[in-house]
Amino acid sequence: MEVIEGILIEPVGCLAEFPSGPFLELAFRLFNRKRKASQSGSRAYWHLLNLVQSAGKNLEESEKKLVETLELEAVAAANVYEDVVPALAELNGMGIKLFIATSLSGAATKCFLERHSLSEFFSGSWSSENSKGVKAAPLEAAIAGASLNPSHVMFLVDTLEGLKIAHTVGVQSILMMNDPDDARRLAMHNPSGGIVSLHELPDFIRLVAAENSTSR
Amino acid sequence: MKKISIYRPTSVDEAIQILSEHGTEAGVYAGGTDLLIRLKNRLKQAPTYLVDIKKIENLRYIKEDEQGGVLIGAATKIAEVANSDLLKQKYPMLVQAANMISSPELRNASTLGGDLLQEVWCQYLRGGYSCWRNGGYLCYGAIGDNSYYHSAMGGRLCYAVYPGDAATALIPYDARARLATPRGVKELSIEQLVPGDLMVDGRIQSHVVRYNEILTEVVLPPPKPGVRASFEKLRPRGVWDFAMASLAMCLQLQGQTIDDARVVFGGISGKPLRETAVENFLKGKTLSPSLKDDAIAVALANAAPLKYNATKIDMAKGLLASGLDKLSATA
Repeated sequence: MEVIEGILIEPVGCLAEFPSGPFLELAFRLFNRKRKASQSGSRAYWHLLNLVQSAGKNLEESEKKLVETLELEAVAAANVYEDVVPALAELNGMGIKLFIATSLSGAATKCFLERHSLSEFFSGSWSSENSKGVKAAPLEAAIAGASLNPSHVMFLVDTLEGLKIAHTVGVQSILMMNDPDDARRLAMHNPSGGIVSLHELPDFIRLVAAENSTSR
Repeated sequence: MKKISIYRPTSVDEAIQILSEHGTEAGVYAGGTDLLIRLKNRLKQAPTYLVDIKKIENLRYIKEDEQGGVLIGAATKIAEVANSDLLKQKYPMLVQAANMISSPELRNASTLGGDLLQEVWCQYLRGGYSCWRNGGYLCYGAIGDNSYYHSAMGGRLCYAVYPGDAATALIPYDARARLATPRGVKELSIEQLVPGDLMVDGRIQSHVVRYNEILTEVVLPPPKPGVRASFEKLRPRGVWDFAMASLAMCLQLQGQTIDDARVVFGGISGKPLRETAVENFLKGKTLSPSLKDDAIAVALANAAPLKYNATKIDMAKGLLASGLDKLSATA
C-alpha cells in the first residue's frame, strides 16, 4: 500500500450509527420500495443511494425537501462512536488530511458535523449538493478539490456498495468491521484493509509509512 | 518451505553482527519449535537467514547470583526450567507453569527465550491468511472464529492473544530480561519486553526486541519472604495446548494479611495482562476464601470480548477464584 496522505470518510456507519428508519422511509416515499426494518442504518442508506442512482432522475424540489427533512431526522438520532474524536485528533496531529465524502445532503452533512463538533477536524466536506451527485461523486470531488493521488487516499466503508465505489475511484478501501458477520462477508470482496475501531487508523497509517521506508 | 541460509555464530557479538547485516530478513534460531513452523507455514515474516545461537556458550544455564536471585540463560530448555531443583526451591510457581507449557517432547526442544518471544498462534496467521502479521491489513480473527486464539480484552490491529506462559509466570516475580544489542546490554522488565501488539522495525510483533538484538538472560530477583504463589491454566486438552486463560498470582503475606500482590492473566489479551485493580483490592486484606467474590467483581472491568470469546473472561475469573482458594488453603 502507498503512503497515505488523505482519508475520505462517509459519516453514515463510519463515524456514527445512523437509524435506518428515515432512509427506509425515503425509499418508500420516493421509490415505493417496502421497508425492511431489520436493515442497519448504513445498509438502508446505501440501498437508497442505489435507488437514486438507478432512477437516474433529478429530484424535484419537494422531493429534495423531503430528503433533507428525513436526513436531518437521521442525523438527530445518530450516535457518534466514542473513538471518533480522539482518532480524528490524532490523525490531524499526524498531518493526514481528512475529508467528508458523503451522499447526504449539504444541510444534513453540516448539521451532523456541527451537532457533534467535528467540523474542526476536516479539511473539506463534500456532500451530494456540492459534488452534484451521489456515491462516487463526493469522492471524486474531494480528490480533485484537494489534488490528491487516489492511491494515497483511504476511503472508510462498511458496505459492499462502498467497497465497489472505492475500487472504481481507485482509492484504498478500508473496511470498518462494525459487525463481524457483515465484515466477514465483505472481507471476501478484497478491501485494501480493515479496522475494528477508528482508534486503529493512526497505527494503520504509521505501519504503512514504516513499510514504505523499510522493506516489509 | 522457502530456501533458507543458516549461520552458526559462536559469540553473541558475532550473532548481532550477522543480524545487523541482514536486517529483518534474519531471525534468531534456538529451539525452533516456533520458528521452523513459521517457515513451514510460509509466513511472510519468517526469516530467510537463520542465526543459530545454539553454538554460543553461556546462553544455557540456571544459576544463583550473588544476591540470592537466579539467572536463566535464554537458550535454557523449558524442560530444564521445569526440572530445576533450584527454581523449585525459590520460585515454585515458575516451575509449575513450565510444566504446563506444551508437551514433554516440545519442552525438551523449546527454550525460555523462544517461549517469551514466540509468534502468536492465531489460526488465520498460521493458515497463511494475509493478515497484519503476514503482509496484509486486516485481522481475520476479529471477524472470524475468535473463540480460542484471540483477545477478549480489545486489540490494536491484530487481535491475537500473546501465547506464552513463561512471561505470565515471570512477571509476578518481578523478573527482568537482558538483551544484547549493538549498543551494549539493555535490561527490561518482562512487562516491558512483551507489551503486546506494537510496531517494531516496520512489522507487528508482541515483543520489543529489534531485528539486531538478542534476548540473552532472564534475571529473577531474590525471593521475597512470605510469598505464596499459584499458576492456573485452562486449555482445551490437558496437555499440549495453549491457554484459553491462565493466571499467575503471587501474594506476599504477613501472617494472614496480604502485604503485596501480583496478579497476571495469560491467554486473554495481546500481552500478559497484569491486573492492578485486583492487586490493589487485595493489598491490606486478610487472606480468606471469602475474598474471592469481591476480587472477581473488580477483575477485568475493561473486558472487550469479540463475538465468540466472552467465555475467556468467565474462565479467567474462575481461575482467580480457584487461585485464591488454593492460596487461602496453604497460607
